Amino acid sequence: MKLSEHYTRTSVYITLTVLLFGAVIYYFAINYIAQQQLDRGLQQQLTEAEEYARSNDQNPQLYDLDRDHAVFVKTNLQQLQKRFFDTTYFNPKEQRAEAGRAVEDLVKVKNNNYKVVIAISRAGQKYLIEVITIITLTLLAGLLFVLFITNKYLLNGLWKPFRLTLTEIKQFNIADVDQFTGKPSEVDEFTELNEAIREMSLRVTHDYLKLKQFTENASHEMMTPLAVVTTKLDTLIQDETLGADQLAQITDIYSSINKSSRLNHSLLLLAKLENKLITEEEPIELDIMLAEKMQQFQELMQSKNLSFQHQLQPKQILASKYLVDILLNNLFSNAIRHNIIGGVVIIQLTAHSLSIKNSGGVNQLNTDLIFERFQKGKESQGTGLGLTLVKNICQHYGYTIHYHHQTGLHAFVITF
Amino acid sequence: MKILVIEDEHSLRENITSYLNVDGNICESCGGLTVALQKLADYDYDCVLLDIGLPDGQGFDVLEFLRTHHKNEAVLIISARNSLDDKLKGLNLGADDYLTKPFHLAELKARLMAVYRRKALNTSNKLIFNEISIDIPGRTVEVNDTPIILTRKEYEMLLYFIANKGKVISKNAIAEHLWGDEMDMHDNFDFIYTHIKNLRRKLLDAGGKDYLTSIYGLGYKFISS
Repeated sequence: MKLSEHYTRTSVYITLTVLLFGAVIYYFAINYIAQQQLDRGLQQQLTEAEEYARSNDQNPQLYDLDRDHAVFVKTNLQQLQKRFFDTTYFNPKEQRAEAGRAVEDLVKVKNNNYKVVIAISRAGQKYLIEVITIITLTLLAGLLFVLFITNKYLLNGLWKPFRLTLTEIKQFNIADVDQFTGKPSEVDEFTELNEAIREMSLRVTHDYLKLKQFTENASHEMMTPLAVVTTKLDTLIQDETLGADQLAQITDIYSSINKSSRLNHSLLLLAKLENKLITEEEPIELDIMLAEKMQQFQELMQSKNLSFQHQLQPKQILASKYLVDILLNNLFSNAIRHNIIGGVVIIQLTAHSLSIKNSGGVNQLNTDLIFERFQKGKESQGTGLGLTLVKNICQHYGYTIHYHHQTGLHAFVITF
Repeated sequence: MKILVIEDEHSLRENITSYLNVDGNICESCGGLTVALQKLADYDYDCVLLDIGLPDGQGFDVLEFLRTHHKNEAVLIISARNSLDDKLKGLNLGADDYLTKPFHLAELKARLMAVYRRKALNTSNKLIFNEISIDIPGRTVEVNDTPIILTRKEYEMLLYFIANKGKVISKNAIAEHLWGDEMDMHDNFDFIYTHIKNLRRKLLDAGGKDYLTSIYGLGYKFISS
């Protein structure tokens, strides 16, 4: 629900409640005041009737002969509490009964006790209340209508700068050079909001650049010593006095350096992926790239006497060529590394998925741990980061990857 | 060939210069941007090896300098940063190639020779080594004027060996050159042996000398004479 709707709803509820309470109180108050007025009128008439009865000393029953107003009834009661009460009043002119108000009291005339009852019509008061009710209801309806209109048009207009800001935030990309600007607004709150977002985006961009710088610096710091060791070895092996033993040692050192530089590359790449520092994208014909990879891995395949089986449908993806290259290298490399002599590598590419299956050990690998960092088989010579990289690259592009093992085939399936 | 090595890491610089200082090459070196710009202003070189991260500035400034002064040195960037941005920036500023640390000296030499050949615009366009003659643009090889057919890998290997003639080259370096350093070869270098065996046989069959010797289990050497 939109904010303006929330606001309209709340304001309507509050208005309705307040007005209804008001109307009830209003009704009782007016009723009370009108009754007081009637009672005062009755009291006056009562006084007049008593005065009349006492001064004329005659039968008070003569006071009002048509008995429409005051009724004197002789009584033996010695005491009667004066009381006002609602009753029905018979209108002699219109010949019908109406709501009325009456008073009764005891009057003493020449040792005779008379109960006097005076009644008047309440029709006027009822009419007044009706008119007031109609006016109140009309006002209520009018107010609600105005509230609706105001909220719908005025509030939406007021929130327009907010929507503009929101659109701009949605389009904000940390890797872009464009900064968040924020359209100027006359509303202080929105200006303040824009200001805060601008500051935040500047800070975030700054941190992002720092992070980027850090990964690059880390790479530099680690790669240079590795380069020194490599070139030293390259120089050392030129020495003709070295024997087979020394050269065998040097071969091992080469392998270790190769592995550590590979490891370093992988770790930096993981950091870059996690910080979303790789943003370049281009259309890639995956089927063509897979065919190239099969060519590239041919020698490795031959060394284990493996064969490829493939079904490639044309498929284009939008991704970084560098990352897809690493993704495929790792999957191919694993499929060959963990294969058996004379085994197969099966590659299937459809519009929705890419699966790479290889023959290998009979046991299923632990599906929970397989993509974790530094989880590798005991005999594996890899860095232990290959599948982590594969998974992170898939995540980077919103693909899912899962592993399963069936009838001697280990399969990795990427769903686009 | 006159080469300038701009690299701040002292021991790396020394190794590079001593490796390149053969076959009549003259190799000078310096460790900072200021000295490098001074040298480039005073002398002409054929090739410049350029590290991007220098203590007193960015190596990109060297490229700017060469461009504004219309100098024609071939530039090979050697950088620890394996970042696509840097690579593109360097190449856009006029560098001829980009090599990421760590690298093998043999790889460096081969790349350097390649950029030099491209830049030097040899009239003959031929690389001649004793009886072997290689037509670089046509990618064809003749031994004693007899054409021999080489596979792509064998051809690349031959160029690589000639660029590093007289040097022992490790199998790691050869594998990285032929398959790229992104590809993990599982420390299995048997297939290098196959390519070398074929190349050697083809050269011998065409009447060439036996240049390739195996250095125990470590690598190979292409004898220079």
